[in-house]
Amino acid sequence: MRLYAGGPIFLAALAVFMLAGIFFAPSAFAGRSSTGELAFYPCTKCHPVTVDAGGNPVPPLPNGFKKHTITLEVHDTLGKDEKACLMCHDDPSRNPGMLIAPDGSLIDITGDVSRVCQRCHFEKYREWQVGVHGKNLPKCTAAGCHDPHTPSWIYVAALPPFLGSGFEVQAVGEHELFKPLAGPPVYPPVNTPLSLVVVASIGAVIGAGTLGLLIMGRSKR
Amino acid sequence: MAKKLITTTAPGVYRIIGVDFNIGALKSAGKRYWLFVALLGIIITLGIVAWGTALANGGSVMAMRDNYPWGLWFTNYMYYVGLSAGGLIVYASVHLFGAEQFKPLSRLAVLQAGVLVMLALLGIITDMERPWRAVYMLLTPNGTSPFVYTGSAANIYMIICFVDLWVLITGFGGKKLAHRMTLIALPFAIYLHTTTAFVLSLNKSRELWNSAVMVPIFLTSATASGVALLLICAYIMQSLGVFKFASSMFRSLSTLLATVMIIDLFLLVVEILTVFWPTSSKPGHAIRFSHFFTGEYAWAFIPVLVLGFGAFALLAGRKTRHLPTVQITASIMYVVAVFFKRYSLMAMGFSTNTLGQYSSPYFPSLVEVLIALGLLAVGLMIMTLSAKVLPLQVPEDEHDEEPAALGAGVEPVVEAG
Repeated sequence: MRLYAGGPIFLAALAVFMLAGIFFAPSAFAGRSSTGELAFYPCTKCHPVTVDAGGNPVPPLPNGFKKHTITLEVHDTLGKDEKACLMCHDDPSRNPGMLIAPDGSLIDITGDVSRVCQRCHFEKYREWQVGVHGKNLPKCTAAGCHDPHTPSWIYVAALPPFLGSGFEVQAVGEHELFKPLAGPPVYPPVNTPLSLVVVASIGAVIGAGTLGLLIMGRSKR
Repeated sequence: MAKKLITTTAPGVYRIIGVDFNIGALKSAGKRYWLFVALLGIIITLGIVAWGTALANGGSVMAMRDNYPWGLWFTNYMYYVGLSAGGLIVYASVHLFGAEQFKPLSRLAVLQAGVLVMLALLGIITDMERPWRAVYMLLTPNGTSPFVYTGSAANIYMIICFVDLWVLITGFGGKKLAHRMTLIALPFAIYLHTTTAFVLSLNKSRELWNSAVMVPIFLTSATASGVALLLICAYIMQSLGVFKFASSMFRSLSTLLATVMIIDLFLLVVEILTVFWPTSSKPGHAIRFSHFFTGEYAWAFIPVLVLGFGAFALLAGRKTRHLPTVQITASIMYVVAVFFKRYSLMAMGFSTNTLGQYSSPYFPSLVEVLIALGLLAVGLMIMTLSAKVLPLQVPEDEHDEEPAALGAGVEPVVEAG
């Protein structure tokens, strides 16, 4: 479930969470899954991670993968309908467990999903790589930080006695939507006039001759 | 200025503003001397043609674009300004610290310092597509721009160097004036190098430049490369018969060089550690610097470390430090290392722009290379002619005596008729 900041349920949950946090202070911090990977977003429970010889998911997708709709709140900038899915996922009807890396190769959904984020959020990816962003957590989504479909939502760990459960809070404010930067511009080529090349070539030949005479004069001595 | 022909000392010696110009020495110069001068003349001509091409065609003939607004000229500006430091340090140590062993080098050192700063300034002029507009920097200076301070400091420093050389050659004002000139020149040299470093370090948008250690690194690498160049220059002048130096002077110079080298390398290592240490690492710094270790820019930065530490290792051994081959090899290695360091310093600001976009390394165009070579040839030409014409050798009797006043000594006899 999702709870908006400021709502009564959110405040109640937060109070409980804070009490639990005080009780388990030494190990309590937000942003980490309490049970490991995909604790709050169990994609792999439905998504297969293997395909058979025919390229079909094993086991088959639940309900033929129909009615599998996800509302994108931030990543809706990626496109409309299926186009938005295909920005990150390989063909969802065939093998949605595979994601597309920046170089076009496919990544297993339980693999290094962060590289999918890198395609657009390369600056944040670099910061995360060197450990400044993300508190050195191993992954962007699976470790319990970002909801991959709505990355402005982050998971908050619910530690014992709420082991195994969790909830999301919107940690990133409603700011202007992220737009990937344009690549560096292509600069105009260097214009070297032919006349200069000719003059420089003649000068180089005369200079080399003079240098040769200098060296030969030395060897005679 | 009236010219007087000296007939009492040697034919062909002209005294202009108190300096004896031995023009006659050029007539007796050998064939190889003139071949070398001709070679420099060819390079200077090519440089002038390239500059003319740049003036006629604008910035399109240069490889500098928005990602690299500064190029080879700026690398050379930092490099030449730095190299000039060595001469002044040696010259100042004679007058301020009583390092008498460097006294025979003093005129050569000051001449080298002045010529190098002149080359740095000519680099700015030739980079300008409208050089006549340079005067506006003086008329309407922007007080927040470090270029105002480093540019004016370089101009004044060059004038101070040439006035110093004149004082040393003529003996005008005696030791007292030479000492006072040192008191002016040395702080000015530090001011010049500090403001040159400020050009980089006062930019908060270029993360690797924005470091307080930039100023001391500039000063130490300037001094180290300058002393190394002076040592090379002194060996060349000695092999050409212009000077005769004591081997103890070279030993003292190489000891000074090794000391400054290790301070310079220490500061560089401290900066690298600060950038990459886990608890101090900032993503902007670490990512940018990694391009210089493992990325496309490694060819420019790795030689700085290899040549730098290699040169120090050569001079570190007390038993081998006095060997001319070791001294010259170490000096050449460090002079080359500092050139790569200057290029790397420039590239550290531009390899990743302020939007976080990466740029491949900058390589100068033919026009830029020819202009740079032409300027280098101008410097070499001045040194080559000065070696013959100017009295750069410090007279033996001047070491301990009070120098004579201007014009005193040899009475000039003006040829009748």
